[in-house]
Amino acid sequence: MKKIVHYINQFFAGVGGEEQADYKPELHTEILGPSLALNKALEDAEVTHTLVCGDGYFGSNEEAATQELLGMLEGLEFDLFVAGPTFRAGRYGFAAGSICKSVKEKFGVPVLTSMNDENPGVNMYKKDMYIFKGGKSATKMRSDIKVIASAANKILKGEKLGSAESENFYPRGIRLQVIDKNMKPASTRVVEMLLKKLSGKEFETELPIPKNDRVDIAPAIKDLSKAKIALVTTGGIVPIDNPDKIQSASATRWGMYDISSNDDLLEGIYKTIHAGFDPYGADTDPDRIVPLDVLRAYEKEGKIDSIDSHFYSTVGTGTTEGEAYRMGSEIAVVLKDHNVDAVILTST
Amino acid sequence: MKLEIGNFIVKEVSFGNSTSFQNGVLTINKKEALEHVMEDSHITEADIVIAVPGDKKRIVPVKEAIEARCKIGKNCTFPGVTGDLYQLGEGRTHALKNMSVLAVGKHWGSFGDGLIDMSGPGADYSHYSGLINVCLVADTDEEFERHEQQKKNHALRWGAMRLSEYLAEAVRELEPDEIEDYDLCSITGRDNVKDLHKVVYVIQCQSQMEELGYNDLVYGWDMNKYVPTLMHPNEIIDSAIISGSFMPCSSKWSTYDFQNNPTIKELYKEHGKTLNFLGVITSNLNVSLEQKNRSALFVAQIASTIGADGAILAEEGYGNPDADFIACFDALEDAGVKTVGITNECTGRDGKSQPLVVLSEKADAIVSCGNVSKLIELAPMEEVVGELQSLARDGLSGGWADDEKLGPSVKEDGSIIMENNSMFCGDQVVGWSQKTMKEF
Amino acid sequence: MVKAIEKTGIAVVQMANLVPVATSVGANKIVPSISIPYPLGDPATPFEEQWKLRYHRVGVALDALSTEVTEQTVFSVKI
Repeated sequence: MKKIVHYINQFFAGVGGEEQADYKPELHTEILGPSLALNKALEDAEVTHTLVCGDGYFGSNEEAATQELLGMLEGLEFDLFVAGPTFRAGRYGFAAGSICKSVKEKFGVPVLTSMNDENPGVNMYKKDMYIFKGGKSATKMRSDIKVIASAANKILKGEKLGSAESENFYPRGIRLQVIDKNMKPASTRVVEMLLKKLSGKEFETELPIPKNDRVDIAPAIKDLSKAKIALVTTGGIVPIDNPDKIQSASATRWGMYDISSNDDLLEGIYKTIHAGFDPYGADTDPDRIVPLDVLRAYEKEGKIDSIDSHFYSTVGTGTTEGEAYRMGSEIAVVLKDHNVDAVILTST
Repeated sequence: MKLEIGNFIVKEVSFGNSTSFQNGVLTINKKEALEHVMEDSHITEADIVIAVPGDKKRIVPVKEAIEARCKIGKNCTFPGVTGDLYQLGEGRTHALKNMSVLAVGKHWGSFGDGLIDMSGPGADYSHYSGLINVCLVADTDEEFERHEQQKKNHALRWGAMRLSEYLAEAVRELEPDEIEDYDLCSITGRDNVKDLHKVVYVIQCQSQMEELGYNDLVYGWDMNKYVPTLMHPNEIIDSAIISGSFMPCSSKWSTYDFQNNPTIKELYKEHGKTLNFLGVITSNLNVSLEQKNRSALFVAQIASTIGADGAILAEEGYGNPDADFIACFDALEDAGVKTVGITNECTGRDGKSQPLVVLSEKADAIVSCGNVSKLIELAPMEEVVGELQSLARDGLSGGWADDEKLGPSVKEDGSIIMENNSMFCGDQVVGWSQKTMKEF
Repeated sequence: MVKAIEKTGIAVVQMANLVPVATSVGANKIVPSISIPYPLGDPATPFEEQWKLRYHRVGVALDALSTEVTEQTVFSVKI
C-alpha cells in the first residue's frame, strides 16, 4: 500500500486558532483532523503521518521551520505529500505551498495542495505544483479533500493527470498539445467563436494571453571608453564548417568563436546556419548580422575600450524561450569570466 | 461568381493499361503518367507509389500535396503556373476526391518537407494519413541546392502538378458522383443578408524568402512581391494559390490545403444564415517590421472599405510570422473589425515557452491548433516511401542529425524521434485541426 | 536570451528588426535594425552606404548602453 504524509496547520490539528499560531512543528503517527477524511477517500493508499505546524511560526521562521519539517520527514517512507486544503487562509496557503515545494525538491515525490483563488499562495506557487481550486472556507472541506484524494489515487496508480481544466487545478504555465478526434474541427471552432464575439456573447479563447514578466534593467555603462563590449547573436553566424553543429532551427546549442585577430567577418570564412530566412545577405557579408567591422572602428576611435576576444552565436528560429534562457545564462557565465561590461545582441 | 466542383470519389487506385476512372477505381498507366512527369529534363528518375490509409508505410520527405483536378474548357488547372492565365472561381472543375498527389524526394529532403505515417499513432498527426496518396517519388539534377537546407524543389513540385493534371484528365468527360455549388454574388448585389454579420477571411500566406522560387504563388505571382488583395473565395478553392517550399512543415499549407480550405467551406455553409461572407483577403508574411506593418495596414483598410464587422485571421507559420499575425490582429481590432485568430503555438518541448513570439491584449480570441515543438516518438514502419534518413540528415525542421540527450532523429531500427514541426501540414490551421492546446 | 544576460547585471542592448518581438521577450534597450535577413546592411545598396548605416546604428546601440532608462526604451535611429 502506498503511503502519504499530510501537512496541516495548528487550527485544523485542533490545537487552537490565532493564539496558537506560533505552534512549532510536530509529526503525528496517529493521524488527525482532515487527514482522517483524506485517508478515507484514498483507494490503495493510506495517510501514515500528519505533520502539523503553526501558520505564524512558519511565516516568521520559514527557513528554520522548513528545516525542522524536512528533518522530521527524513527516514520516513512516503510516496506522496499533501498539504491543506488551505481555503482562503493566506498564511496557511503560503506555508502549504512553501513546504510542498521543499518536499518535492528534497524527496522527489509528487506534492498536492488546494487553495481558493483569492489565496495569495496560488500566484506564488502555482507554477511549482498542482494546486487544486478550493472553496472559500472549511465548509468546503469534504469536497476539496475529495478532489485531492482523487488526484492522489490517479498519481499513485501511475496515471497521468488530465488538463488543468478537467482536473480543476490552477494552470502551471505548461501548455501542451491535445488531439481529440471528437473535437469539432478548427474551422467550426473559429466560426463559432467569431459569431459569439460578434454578438457580444461570452466566448473562451483557446490561447489566453499571458502576462509578460520583465527583468530589472542593468545599470548603464558609466564610461564607454573603459568598457569591454561583446557581440552576441541569434542570427546563426558561425565559422563556415559550423564546428559546434548548432542546429539551424529549434537550437539547443551555442558557440563562441575567437575574433581577437579579426577586423571583419569575411564571406567564405563565416556564414549563417539560421534556417528562418534567406541566408544570402548574411553569407555575403556576415558583418550585416555581427557588426564586428564597425565595432572595431569604434574601438580604434576610443569610443569603447575593447571588444571581447570571442563572439557568441546561436539560432533564434523555433528556439523555445526556455532553451534561449538556458543558453543566455550559459553565455552570461563566460561573459562574466571575460570581464565583459556590456553586450550588443543582434537578432534576426 | 459561381463555381461547380464535380467530385469523383476515389475508393481505390491501381496500375493498369490505361489511365481511367470507373466505379470509384482510378487506374493509372504508370509509364504514360511518368512520361508527363519526365517532361522536365531535370527529373532524373521517378516512380509512382500508392499509399492507402492503414498501410504500414511511412512517407518522407514529402514536399507537396495536390488534389488532382481539371478545369472544364481549359487546358491547365493552375493558370499562371502550369499554363496561361485565366479567371478561376467560375465554371466547372472536376476533382478526384479522397486522394492526393504527393511530391516525395527519392533521397533528398529540405527544411519545409514533412513526414506522413499511413497507420499507427503517427497517423494522428497529418490529414494526409487519411487519404489515398499517389506518391511521385523522384530525384532531380538540381545540383545547386542538393545539399542546401532550403530547397525550391521546383522540378518535383511542378512534376507533381503535371501528374495531378494528367490523372484528372481521366474524369474530364465523365459525370461526377456529386456536384458542390459555390455561388456568391457581388458584395453589393446581395439582398437577403442585410442583418447578418459581415465577415471576411484573412489568410497570411508564406512569402518570407526574398529570393523567388520558395514562396506561395497566387496565379503564379510570388507573394513576397505582393500587397494584400481582396479575392473571391472561389478562386482560392479553385487552385489560385500554390504552396511554397519554405516553412516548417506542420505550419505549411499545401496546395491541396488551399484547394480544400475547410474554413472557406464553413463560412459558405453559414453564409445567408448566421453571416454574410464578404470574401477573402489574401495577405502575406514578411521579413521586416515595415513590410509586416504595411500588409497589416492594407488588410485593415480593405476589411473596413468593404464593411466587414468580423474577421477570421489565419497565419501560415510561426515564430517571426507571429509578428505579422499580431500586427494584423491589432490593425483589424483598431479598425473596429472584431477578429478571431487561428494559429499553432510554439511552447517548447516542455510546454513552458511563450506560445507566440509576440502577444497583444487585443488578441483575445484565438483558436489554437497545436504545438510545433511537441516531441513525437514512433516505432519503425514496414515500408518507407522516399528515404527515412532525410529526416535526420537534411535539416528538416523537426529532425536532427544528433542531439546530446535524444540521439539522432532516425534510429538504426527505423524508429524515429522528431518534433511535430515536420509532420506534413500537420497543424491544419486551414481548419481540419482536431488539435488544441491545454494547460497541464 | 537577453533577459538571462541582463539578469547577471551586464548591460545589454538588443538590435532587432522586429521591435514587437524584442519588446515581448523582455529586452529593455532596443535599437531597430533594417530587416530580418540583413539587419545591418541591405545587400542591394552600395557597400559604403551599408557601412554608414551599420556604423550609425551600432553607435546608437553603444550610446544606449551608457544611457540610464527606467522602462523599455526603443532608441531612434537616423539612417
